[in-house]
Amino acid sequence: MRRSSRGIIITASVLVICFCALLVMMFDYHGAREEAGVTYITKGTIDTGAANLVSAIYLNYRLFDTLFELLVFSVAVLGVRFYLAQQRGNEEEVTRIPESQVIRTSADLLFPPILLLGIYLVLFGHLSPGGGFSGGTVAGTGLLLCAVALGADVVGRRFHEPTLERFEWEILLAILLLALIPVLFGRLPFTDLLPRGRLGSLASGGSILIYNALIGVKVFIGTWVIIHYFVRHRGEI
Amino acid sequence: MMVALLPLVHFGFAALSLAWGRVTRELILLSLVVDAVLVGLLSAGLSQGKPLVIVLGGWEKGIGIELAADRFSLTLTVLVLLLGGAVVAYLWHERLRPYFFMLLHLLLGSVYTLVFARDLFNIYVTLELLTLVSFLLVGYERKPYQIWASLKYLLLASLGLGIYLLGVAIIYYHTGTLNLGLVAARLLDQPNAPWVLLASSLLVTGVAVKSGIFIFSLWLPAAHSSATPAVSALLSGLVIKMGVVVLFRLTSAFSLSLPLLVLGALTGLLGVIYAIFTYDLKRMLAFHTLSQIGYITLGIGIGSEIGIAGSLEYIVGHGLFKGLLFLAAGVAVQTAGEGDIPGLIARRAKIPLSARVALLVGTLGIMGVPPLAGFCGKSLLSAGVQSPVIQTVLILISLGTVASFAKLIPLFRIERGPSSTWPVKLAFVILGLPILLFLPLARLLVPATQLSLSLHVLPFVKSLLVVGGGLLLYRLLSRRPFHLPQRIFRLEEAILVILSGFFLIYLLSVLG
Amino acid sequence: MALINGVTIAIVLFGIGLLGLILRRDLVIKLLALGLVNGSTILCLVSLNARVDGVAPIVHSPASVPYVDPLPHALVLSAIVINFAILALALVFVMLLVERYHTTDSQRIEHEIEGERTP
Repeated sequence: MRRSSRGIIITASVLVICFCALLVMMFDYHGAREEAGVTYITKGTIDTGAANLVSAIYLNYRLFDTLFELLVFSVAVLGVRFYLAQQRGNEEEVTRIPESQVIRTSADLLFPPILLLGIYLVLFGHLSPGGGFSGGTVAGTGLLLCAVALGADVVGRRFHEPTLERFEWEILLAILLLALIPVLFGRLPFTDLLPRGRLGSLASGGSILIYNALIGVKVFIGTWVIIHYFVRHRGEI
Repeated sequence: MMVALLPLVHFGFAALSLAWGRVTRELILLSLVVDAVLVGLLSAGLSQGKPLVIVLGGWEKGIGIELAADRFSLTLTVLVLLLGGAVVAYLWHERLRPYFFMLLHLLLGSVYTLVFARDLFNIYVTLELLTLVSFLLVGYERKPYQIWASLKYLLLASLGLGIYLLGVAIIYYHTGTLNLGLVAARLLDQPNAPWVLLASSLLVTGVAVKSGIFIFSLWLPAAHSSATPAVSALLSGLVIKMGVVVLFRLTSAFSLSLPLLVLGALTGLLGVIYAIFTYDLKRMLAFHTLSQIGYITLGIGIGSEIGIAGSLEYIVGHGLFKGLLFLAAGVAVQTAGEGDIPGLIARRAKIPLSARVALLVGTLGIMGVPPLAGFCGKSLLSAGVQSPVIQTVLILISLGTVASFAKLIPLFRIERGPSSTWPVKLAFVILGLPILLFLPLARLLVPATQLSLSLHVLPFVKSLLVVGGGLLLYRLLSRRPFHLPQRIFRLEEAILVILSGFFLIYLLSVLG
Repeated sequence: MALINGVTIAIVLFGIGLLGLILRRDLVIKLLALGLVNGSTILCLVSLNARVDGVAPIVHSPASVPYVDPLPHALVLSAIVINFAILALALVFVMLLVERYHTTDSQRIEHEIEGERTP
């Protein structure tokens, strides 16, 4: 690995060390102010009905930010698809991992529990740590396990591409419509209109459950699409 | 409530564009019409004095996300409409995939959100979306230099926003809220605590990477000159301004006048110096974007009402004529087959007449010839400036602008050329007409009392003198080509310059 | 507060990531360094409002348990997804560049692109 020029090394080290030193020294640990945090903790469960306050924040109080985050995710998926659309960008031959009985059996055994774990994380996101993003990622990497065992094209044929694409934007549209429905009732967008339910039960938290489910499916599809396109571009796993 | 509808409508249209790939152009036209209606309703509401502050979800300000519309934001939405309409017209006959239109919708939606945003983390997420979308738009044609320029942009912008997030962490720790209005209230009693200075420097550094301030936005010349002309027009005319708008919102909470003044002066002068000695048309326009941002930042740094009004006028004016220049430059480069200005001058017979007229109008605007758009903004800015140092800086920047655009004068001979298609001409008219008619239109933007300050004889004469002086400067300088250091535009050097810029801002905050 | 705590470690990691971003020429390592920079920002956000006796903010009964402030965790969720998206797209672009120029050295790629642009 060739090195950068001496001047750059010295300047970079000096600047970065000064930067870190400044931050560490100027960090004032006194004067913490817990205003919004206290409000969330004391009124979070009453306002939203969810036990998991973090879910309450990003799916109720600050749902707008989560919408942008979802858009960033969708843009990433679409960007990956746009640029890696041609197959086999690599000219070299890539040898596939030889078919291994160990991987095959463990994938058979593990994939259903992984999927179940993903569904659990999504559905119970408002009661315990989890939520749409983590659940969707877990399920998506479960599919990756299947792809390692069976071959990505086999799994890809199972999950029809155009259907997945349609699902993605349909889910995005559904989330937007859910956010806009309160406007019909004369309230502001992103207001939660569903009943709060009994704290700690599955049917609580208002529309947090619906959002979690939608986000979970979207992240699942998105993760799989990204992995699939990367694999297709390279050759095979 | 309409405030929240504006971006949401665009996000909805983004999803729809993916679904109905065949009618994407009609969809984007429809979305612009819907926007115009919503903006009209909002302005009507504003003039009636109805409160236009909403907190999404109906929560209180401290725990929900606030969106607020004021005169500043509504003026900017007009710019968005005009640029959006022009770009749609320009791209009417090109075959573009629905993916491109989806990116356009997301860009417009994020721009609307930033115009109304008042929450630190909302700004972060929106800036990230804007970065990703611009990055994908610049690299749309997959040419290697575009991909490298957009990769540099993504890395630098991501680094900048990481620094911004550190600042947000510090602010949240000490003030307990993310809402800018509440943060401003909390900081009233301790405006100079060390953590305030540190946090504000971090925030400004992060936003400055995206605002087009010279030391931080070294990715800009490469990215804006490599992109397709419509994308460059949108980026230079609209997206860059959003960084400056965020800086303006930050000034309501932190005292940033000295850093912004120094940065504005630096950007203006350095950008114009580089522009004088650049002979590639699109790259010169990109350097000009940097230097005009210097004007706007100076206006915001001054902070007085007239300064802000001048900056606002200049934001709109610059968006219009930079957009027009990029679109016209795109047509010119495409038809002449050359990106270099001497080459373009040699082949000017191939450039359509409408493109050359558009270039002429844009050039007159940016030079500040009265009574076009640039003149209005510049004179209002100078009217709001008290200190002679800043006046001199403003005059120097104007001189440099005129000198660098004087290169294009041989292009403006009125001769017959091939004609361009009607959508392209429509695009030129959408942007060119407001530039020409800016003076009467400006009465809608700025209260008449401030406007009359800029309409004395003195500003007229001054701007004509500046134009003359700039042409003279061009004559003097055109003999010796001068090679300015281009190394700072590489990735590693750019990061080092950003770090040094952070220290500069921190020092200026401590001193100011 | 002790000098070695989450925030200091986050800032040190930020510095290491920055140095890696500047000094290493390999594009993939630059992306890893960017991931480190973003990760350290996330660490800083989370450890700022953490407490030694803190409890995760899952409220089943509103007792006076020292719950940790849930807002930074929500912010971090968004930040993680956004950083993932950025890294994925940056990796795609790096792949395209590497396939075109057959090298991962950023300076060589820059050199070749500059050579192509100025005829």
